[in-house]
Amino acid sequence: MACFQFDRISTRRDMLRRSGAGFASLAFSAMLGGTSQTTLFGSESPLAAKQPHFTPRAKRIIFLFMWGGPSHVDLFDPKPVLNAHAGQPLNGNTVGHPSPNLGTLMGTPFRFRQHGDGGIWISELFPHLAKHADRLCVVRSMHTEGTAHGEALLRLHTGHSNLVRPSVGSWISYGLGSESDELPAFVTISPPRGHGGVQNYGSAFLPAIHQGTAIGSAEIPISKARVSHIGNSKLDAPTQSEQLKLIQALNQSHLQSAKTDRGIEGLIANYELAFRMQSAIPATMNLDSETAETHRLYGINEDKTDNFGRQCLLARKLAESGVRYIQVSTDYTWDHHQKLRDGIVGECKQVDKPIAGLLEDLARRGLLEDTLVVWGSEFGRTPTAENNDGRGHHPQAFTIWMAGGGVKGGLTYGATDDFGYKPVENGVHMHDLHASLLYALGMDHKRLTYRYAGRDFRLTDIYGNVVEALWT
Amino acid sequence: MPLLSTLNNPMNTFAPAKWLLSLLLAVTVTNESLAQVQPDGHGVAFFETHIRPIFFQHCYTCHADSQDKREGGLVLDSKAGLEMGGHRGEFVVPHDAGASLLWQAVQYHDAELQMPPAAPLPPESLHKLRQWIELGAPLPNETTPSSLTAPSDPEAGKSHWAFQPLSTVVPMHSENDLSGSAIDVLVDTLRQQNQLATAPLADRATLLRRLTLLLHGLMPTPSELDHFVNDPAPDAYSRLVDRLLASPRFGERWGRHWLDLARYADSNGSDENFLFREAWRYRNWVLNALNEDIPFDRFTKLQIAGDLLPHDTVEQRDQQRIATGFLLLGPKVLLGNDPENQKMEIADELIDTIGRVYHAQTLGCARCHNHKFDPVPTRDYYALAGIFTSTQVMEQRFMLNEQRVMEQLIGLGENGIDQDDAYEKYWRERNQLGIRKDKAREALDALNKGDQEAFKKIAEANVDAVASEANDTARTLDERKGAQQKLADALTKAWNEPPAIPQRAMVSLDRPQPSDEAIRIAGQFTQKGETIPRGFLTVLTDAQPDNKSALPTSGSGRLELSQWLTAGNQRSGQTTARVISNRVWYHLMGRGLVRTVDNFGRTGETPSNPPLLDYLARRLIEKEWSLKELIREIVLSDTFRLSSELDAGNYAVDPDNVFLWRYNRRKIDPEAFRDSTLQLAGQLDLNVYSSTVHYLGDQATAVGPNTVRRRTDFPCRSVYLPVIRNDLPEIFEILDFTDPQVATGMRRQTIVPTQGLFLLNDNQVMDAATQIAKRACQQPEQSIEQKMSWAYKHILGNGPSQEENSTLVQAYQSLLNSLPADKPDRELHALSIVVHAILASSRFQYYE
Repeated sequence: MACFQFDRISTRRDMLRRSGAGFASLAFSAMLGGTSQTTLFGSESPLAAKQPHFTPRAKRIIFLFMWGGPSHVDLFDPKPVLNAHAGQPLNGNTVGHPSPNLGTLMGTPFRFRQHGDGGIWISELFPHLAKHADRLCVVRSMHTEGTAHGEALLRLHTGHSNLVRPSVGSWISYGLGSESDELPAFVTISPPRGHGGVQNYGSAFLPAIHQGTAIGSAEIPISKARVSHIGNSKLDAPTQSEQLKLIQALNQSHLQSAKTDRGIEGLIANYELAFRMQSAIPATMNLDSETAETHRLYGINEDKTDNFGRQCLLARKLAESGVRYIQVSTDYTWDHHQKLRDGIVGECKQVDKPIAGLLEDLARRGLLEDTLVVWGSEFGRTPTAENNDGRGHHPQAFTIWMAGGGVKGGLTYGATDDFGYKPVENGVHMHDLHASLLYALGMDHKRLTYRYAGRDFRLTDIYGNVVEALWT
Repeated sequence: MPLLSTLNNPMNTFAPAKWLLSLLLAVTVTNESLAQVQPDGHGVAFFETHIRPIFFQHCYTCHADSQDKREGGLVLDSKAGLEMGGHRGEFVVPHDAGASLLWQAVQYHDAELQMPPAAPLPPESLHKLRQWIELGAPLPNETTPSSLTAPSDPEAGKSHWAFQPLSTVVPMHSENDLSGSAIDVLVDTLRQQNQLATAPLADRATLLRRLTLLLHGLMPTPSELDHFVNDPAPDAYSRLVDRLLASPRFGERWGRHWLDLARYADSNGSDENFLFREAWRYRNWVLNALNEDIPFDRFTKLQIAGDLLPHDTVEQRDQQRIATGFLLLGPKVLLGNDPENQKMEIADELIDTIGRVYHAQTLGCARCHNHKFDPVPTRDYYALAGIFTSTQVMEQRFMLNEQRVMEQLIGLGENGIDQDDAYEKYWRERNQLGIRKDKAREALDALNKGDQEAFKKIAEANVDAVASEANDTARTLDERKGAQQKLADALTKAWNEPPAIPQRAMVSLDRPQPSDEAIRIAGQFTQKGETIPRGFLTVLTDAQPDNKSALPTSGSGRLELSQWLTAGNQRSGQTTARVISNRVWYHLMGRGLVRTVDNFGRTGETPSNPPLLDYLARRLIEKEWSLKELIREIVLSDTFRLSSELDAGNYAVDPDNVFLWRYNRRKIDPEAFRDSTLQLAGQLDLNVYSSTVHYLGDQATAVGPNTVRRRTDFPCRSVYLPVIRNDLPEIFEILDFTDPQVATGMRRQTIVPTQGLFLLNDNQVMDAATQIAKRACQQPEQSIEQKMSWAYKHILGNGPSQEENSTLVQAYQSLLNSLPADKPDRELHALSIVVHAILASSRFQYYE
């Protein structure tokens, strides 16, 4: 097994000393030489790369979030018994529920087939993804709490719904820091504004630097999305350089009269970093530099797949640049309370090719072995019908899959009952998933703690079991 | 030095893991002696090191004499108890895990017997328990070692510094120096003990900027600056303080400090971010209360129990009701939440908020178990919970096409209740109205067409959609048509023009039948334990003869709670006074005497100057809880007026300025930054604003097609801008506004790249810079040096030095030269860029 180490420990101090391109860093090196050796945030940057607790399986995670809750029984968890009983009432007895009638069972209109050496079952809606079946590790026994989107989204992203807690990406940023000198450790592409909104990528009580940097939001096409304040609407770059020089001169004069002040020193260093991010982020976001072949791979410039394709390609570029946790979100489109058949066909079409493209591209670049790709949502959908042709929310059971990052490709893990109603084998709770994601990155979820209001907090609170069986 | 020893109190730095470790160490030490006298010392050591901590952490809550809990008759903190077992039988069968009830319970295989109830123990604990049973379940002879006195024990907890009565502090002036206020004397004592030199007093310009920012959140105007700097009167400074305290700008600044604690927001946040359309009334009530200097004890009573207090007029009743909005502002899980769970969560949020705000205690920890660090047993938590579950803060309302459980709104004014009812009724019945309207139209069409058959059919099926005259065949057809036309038009109008939202406010009320609350085992709302009479924290309640019946059963107990929190002659109120004085000190000095302003518990820090803290608390109570008087006394002290000048010797000894040898330099907050910038640009509207969220839909943040977002383009002071949870104005988000989800007494001061990007690129900042540059150009002085100097002094309240001015002018010239010669307004443009740089510079970002 190719086992890697975190070979480069870059501190902000290293970074600031390194002479990057452009005026700002040169100006800053001069200043460092003159007055102060203090680094950006006091002794060491909170974003400096840190050692994990143990040898990690992955260096970074790309989480593909299907907002709304895709139906597991129509995509990855085929249920012949459900199909056979379609139209009949589901008696709670058969699935361990007190209610005698849980609604009318609805079969899936889609065909399933086994793919790859591992025989992973995938419905006909994911033809491109199916080609990567032996890269997928499918977990059919996920379960969580929260029958409403808001609660379930918060649990997916932060582990809690009634209390404000740091999001998964913020914990990872806090635990591992950034591999990049110019980019944050946690970036979220097109995040939802509703159902908890920024709370889903917020840092809560963790230092603010660990908050997810948002690019656009779910309802905006990614091609129109911007990171706020990343460019200046009035000044060209040379003029802004001149201006920054003046700001720093004023700051230096202030610092001289204050003799020493961590705040002023921090401000000075911070302007340099901001200025560098200002060129780094747009450069990363610019997809034009990629080849036409790559664009085709992701389905970019094709009607249905253009938007998600761009999101996935951007995710790859961020991964390549050293961002630790990248979330890609669809719009609020998977909530098929009615007309599931038409709806889910359309949604799958939008993401199938881009996701397959992402896996292929990562693999070609040798990134897949240390990048964990996770596909999932806040919950699944009921095996029973809603509004005759839709399905309701179902946190009791649903499917996610992972690829790369050392997971066992071709593995199907866990099982639900005959109707996909609840897990009957190897149940994986949301807290377990969180514990496992940290595990993949070499962190023990019980040791990754933060002191706040007199208590040590962790992502998994007092819960969570790592599902080691998913990894080789 | 005794002071340093309290600073080094190890409890300050205990993380739970360390705490557990120290517990283990403590037990191991106790146990070494046991090991020496007992042949099976090894086994006992095993018990103490591995097993008792498991019992302690997971089982004592329900099975311990020390906690007065013996559920199922089982007691695990005594040898007798362990040997005897509980109602189910023997607890352990030595050497036989399979036959031991303990083992069965922790295995979680039997649905009837699963312990601990919250969640299975981790595998390593199971392993240890099994090992212990196989070792023969050795036990020490002693019962509970003294080192295991529960931290949650309220009697022992009374010795914690924060729960002591206020000491009577008599500041002793030194013989050769009788000047200085009591505050100065108390500060000076510690400075001298630590051999720290005192910084000189700040110059007047610095002081004016500091004070104006602190009391108003604005910059002094150039005329205020000239006036104060040149005022020769000896009382110039105290008159300045009086003027600032009397201005309505004061409430807008200090009211905001309270709103941070009140977790004020204009929306629910959490899962469903519904708009709090009426929260602004509470906000403006707070600002007004600060301006009127309503004594803090009354301020508290109004917010916790204003609806229960007597009133003379409807107006007064309404103001008191609006104050209770404090209890309704918390974020709540609104959808898919079990009503019972929601009730307990709302109570939890209130217990946490009130514990944090008034006593700087983390009471929420006691929801699931006795507090691990502080003297708060679970019983106390549920005694408080009963008060809040007996309080009504939610109601059924029809919104977004559904009957929902929402924050309670009550109509204001004489007929407010009726108007509110009528409004709610309209929305509840709107769907029927729609049908009625359509049917009335159909009936009219039928009449118009002369289709009597169709008309009759509609009239029979929809009695309320047909005018009685129209149904009256004795009348002429025209009369009938006219009547039906009138009804159809009236219904259409009612449909198209919903009634205006009546005047109403978020208000709490007592439930009709207040009741005590049952303990929820491990915090699980379905797992009811013993019912606890409503009451307050035991550790802060002194034994009174009839303490048990202190709370009348007729009301929720909120009124009594608010009185208990502010009783200046009891420890409960004195603790409040300490916490509040410390908060005031923190805002004025930049650092609390207890640095952890929201945590006076054992995991918080201890006061750096205990006599001073108690002195301030006493003064607050003596001055009848007047916050303005307390602020006045602090800002008039020399301690407050010190410059922030660095002394290398002092800095080496006390870099964090714990002993106040200088004034703390601090970063400006987003409100002061925005308001000052708008003020300098001549664009700030100083009027009081009402709602700034009225244009928003009921869903305050976008889901799906709803993309209307909160606006920030109001020229008002920032305190009136929308505080939408999870969608704060960007400037707030970036420049360290409070987190409006929880009561927060201390804002974080971060330095992150997004701030740099904001200051360099934000359009509003650049617009303000242009406006300021325009104003500079309008000054009578015409040379660029003079314009530059005007702008600098205007923005920073001082300077510039000659050197600085020449730097600015040089930069200006260089920018000017780089602009195309034919660019219109190029001087203004270049000047704007320089002004923008001054706004972004550290002198504007910090005050000292």
